Amino acid sequence: MTPKNIAGMAKRLFFLRHEKVALLLAGVLVGCCSGVAAAGLSFAIEHLWELCAHAKHYWWVFVLPGVGAALSSLFLNKIVREGAGHGVPEIIYAVSRRGGLLRFRSSFSRLVSSCLTIGSGGSAGPEAPVVMSGSAIGSNIAQRLGFPARHRITLVGCGAAAAIASIFNAPIAGIVFTLEVVLGEWTAVNVIPIGVASVAGTQVGRLLMGNSIRFSHTHFSPGTWDIAAAFGLALATALISVALSRMIRSSGKVWGKLPASKMSRAFVGGACVGLVGLFFPQVLGEGYNQIYSLIHGQYSPGLMLLCAILGLKMLVTATTLGSGGSGGIFAPGLVVGSFTGVAYFRLLSLMFDVTPLAPEGCYALLGMAGIMGGMLQAPLTGLFLVVDITSGYEVILPLIVVSLVSSSVCRYFESDSFYLKDLKAEGGLIRPGTDERVLEDLQVSEVLEHNLIPLNNHMTLADLVGQVKSSQRNHFPVLDVKTSEFLGMIDLAKVRPYLFNRELYGTVLVVDIMDHFPPAVSPDERLTDVLELMDRIQAFSLPVISGKRFLGMVSKGTLLDHYRRELIVQTTY
Amino acid sequence: MVNSLLHVFRNNAFGRETFMQSLYFCKALDFTLRVYIPRHSKFLMYFENEVTQVDLDQSYLSDPDTAQEHVEALAKEAGVSVDFLTPKDFTASTLPDVPIGFDCMCSPRSMSDKTSRIGLGYVGPKVRRIAAAAPFPVLVTSLCYKPWNSVAVFFGGSANAFKALSMGLSLSRRSGMPLDLFTIEEGDVNRETLDNLLQVREMTSVVEEGVREWYFLNKSKLEDNLYEIPPDALTVLGAYGHGMIREALFGSKLEVIQSQIINNMMIVGPKCRVF
Repeated sequence: MTPKNIAGMAKRLFFLRHEKVALLLAGVLVGCCSGVAAAGLSFAIEHLWELCAHAKHYWWVFVLPGVGAALSSLFLNKIVREGAGHGVPEIIYAVSRRGGLLRFRSSFSRLVSSCLTIGSGGSAGPEAPVVMSGSAIGSNIAQRLGFPARHRITLVGCGAAAAIASIFNAPIAGIVFTLEVVLGEWTAVNVIPIGVASVAGTQVGRLLMGNSIRFSHTHFSPGTWDIAAAFGLALATALISVALSRMIRSSGKVWGKLPASKMSRAFVGGACVGLVGLFFPQVLGEGYNQIYSLIHGQYSPGLMLLCAILGLKMLVTATTLGSGGSGGIFAPGLVVGSFTGVAYFRLLSLMFDVTPLAPEGCYALLGMAGIMGGMLQAPLTGLFLVVDITSGYEVILPLIVVSLVSSSVCRYFESDSFYLKDLKAEGGLIRPGTDERVLEDLQVSEVLEHNLIPLNNHMTLADLVGQVKSSQRNHFPVLDVKTSEFLGMIDLAKVRPYLFNRELYGTVLVVDIMDHFPPAVSPDERLTDVLELMDRIQAFSLPVISGKRFLGMVSKGTLLDHYRRELIVQTTY
Repeated sequence: MVNSLLHVFRNNAFGRETFMQSLYFCKALDFTLRVYIPRHSKFLMYFENEVTQVDLDQSYLSDPDTAQEHVEALAKEAGVSVDFLTPKDFTASTLPDVPIGFDCMCSPRSMSDKTSRIGLGYVGPKVRRIAAAAPFPVLVTSLCYKPWNSVAVFFGGSANAFKALSMGLSLSRRSGMPLDLFTIEEGDVNRETLDNLLQVREMTSVVEEGVREWYFLNKSKLEDNLYEIPPDALTVLGAYGHGMIREALFGSKLEVIQSQIINNMMIVGPKCRVF
C-alpha cells in the first residue's frame, strides 16, 4: 500500500472529499511540521553556538566559522548534492514555473547546512533555510497526498508561512511574507489555508520554544517629528539595502572566481569572518542579541564605532553567503537595519535637538523595517515582521513611512528585489495573472497542428497544384523522400505567381520554389518566445522542427484558442 | 506524428554502446533522437506530481568537447538525425531542468553509478524513479549494443501489463517486427482468465492479429521460465504498478527478470502513455 493509497482511504474515511477541507487539514499538517523544523533549527543553532563559545579563549577560534562553513558546503554539495543557494528564489521558481514541485531533500538539507554555518559563527540568518524546509515539506506532503498543482502551490505557501511564523513567533508576518514575496498573489483560496498553517506553526513553535516575543516589548510613543524623521531614515535604509544586496551578489561572483573547491572557498570565507569576529564579535552569528541591546537603548559604542560595526556586519554577511556558507538574509538584514536606525538617530542628535523625538530604540525598529522593505521590496513584510517581533503596534505610523519609502526608493535603484533579481534575469519568474503565466501552462506540443499535407523533393509544381486543391492550409512542408528530413516550406502566398503559369507545371520542382530556411521553432520552445518571434517577423504560423524532422505547425489562431481555454481554467479557480 | 526519444549521452565506451541502442531504436521505429550532453553533474526532471534529481556519474562529463563530435559521427553512420537538447530552465545555476515532453527515454541500468558497478541484477534508483513517474517508457539497454529482432511482452493481466501489451503492439506495428507474449502461469493467471480480460477490454482481435505466439510458462521458479525468452527480443514489461508494501512482501517480477536476462528492456511505468 503506497502513501497515496493510504491518503485515498483517509480522504474517504474522514470526509475529506471536499477539496477545501482537505486543503485546510493538509495546511495544518504542513504548519505543524514546519513549526517543528523551525524549532529544531533554532535549538540546534543555539546549542552549537554555545558549544563554540567554549573555545572563545583560544587563538584558533577564528577558524571555527570556516570549519562550519566548509562542513556546510560539504554537506550541501557532496552529501545531499543540492544546488547551493539560500533557497527562497528556488521556492519562488518552483511556485511560478513548476507547480510548486520541490525536492524531498530540500526539506532538511538547508536546516543542517545553515545550522553548521550560523552555529559556528557565520553571519547569516536561519529564516530562509527554514522557509525552504517548510516549503519543501508542504510540497512533498502535497505530492504524497496527490493534490493538484494549484493546491500544491498553496501548501508550499503554507510551509513558508508556518516557518516564518514559528521561528519569529510572528503569525501575521508569516502570512504576509508568503503572499507578498513567495506567491505574489492574494486570493481567498490561498489566504485561508496559509493563515491556518501560520497559526499551527506559531503554536507548535510556542509549545516547543515558549511563547516569548523575539525582542521583548518596549513602549515608544513616536510623534509627528518622528514621522518626519522617518523619511530621512527611509532614504538611508534604502541606500544601505541596495548596498547590502549588491555586496552579497558581487561577493558570490568574486568568491566564485577563486580557483579552489567550493569547500575550500567556504572555509577561507568563514575564517575571514572569524578573523573579523576576533576584534568585533558583534558581527558574528545571527546577531539577535545586538538588536535587543539596540532596541532597549543599551548599546554603548559611539557613532563612529557603530558605523564601523554596521559596515563590517554587511561585509561579513556578504562574505559568509558569497563564499558558500548557508543561510538567509533576514537576520543580517534586521541587524543591519537596527544599526542603521540607531546610527541615524545619533547622527540627528549631533545636528539637532532630539528631545521631541522617540528614543533611539524606536529608530532601531524603524531601521529594521526599512532594510527588510528595501531588500525584499515587500513593504508589508518588513512592516508586519517588525510589529510582530517587537509587539510595537504604537510605532506603526513611522514604520509604514519607512517601509513604503525605502521600498519605493530601492525600486528606483534596483528593478527587482534581492530574491527576484537573478530569477527574473534568467526568465524563472512568472507571477500569477500575467500573460506569461497563462502561456507557461501550454506547451508547443499541445498547440501543434498536424493537418498539413507534406510534399517531397521529387514533386513538381503540378503535384503542388494538385495538393492545393485538397488542402485547407497555405503551407506545405517539403520532406526528403528517402529520409523524411525537413527540407523547406512552401508558402502559397509567396509562390502564387508560379501557380498560374501552366508552362512551369512539369518543369519546376517544389524544391526550386520552396523557402529553404524558413524561420522555425523547436518543440521545447516557450510559447512566449514563439509569439515574440511571430510578432517580430510578422508571421501567423511557424513550422515546428526537431532535429531535421517536421513535427507540425504552430499558428496564432490555434494558440489563441488554447490561450483562452487556459485563461478560463486559471481564472475560474 | 513524429515521436522522439531522449538520450543522455555518456561520453565513454560504455556510453557509446547505450547510444548505439538509441540509434537502433530510432531507426527501427522512425523516432527523432534528442540528445542531452550534460554540462553539469546533475539535472532535474519535473513530472506531473514529482520532481526527480538525477545525480550523474562523473563519466557523463568526461571530455565534453568531443561528446558532440562522437554523437554526430555515430548518428551519421547510423543514418539518424540528431537534435541536441539545450536546457532552457535552471532551478539553480548548476541544476538544469531537462524537459519531459518525449515519447521514450533511453538509459543504461544506472545513471548515477560508476560503470564498474552496473551489471545484471542492478537498476539504479534514479532510473527506477523516472520509470515510476514518467509519462514515457524507459528503454533500459543491455550492457553492450544488442540489436533486437522481435518484441517480447510479459503479460500477466494487470492494468500495467495491459499497458505493456499495448506498447508491445505499437512497437511491433511500427517496427514491423514480430511480437510474442509471455505469461507466467501462477494462481489464477491462465489462458482462460486472460482471454476473458482481453474480451472485456475488446482487445481479443487486436491480440490475435498482432501477436505471433503466446507462450505460457509454468515452471515453479520464475527464473527458470526466462530461458524461453528469445535473446534478440526487446522485452516489454509493466512495472511499479503495485504499492511499496505489496512489493516488499511479495517481491517484484521486474527485479527477477532484470537480474536474469541481458535483453534490452522497455519498462512501462504506471503513468506511461502508449505511443
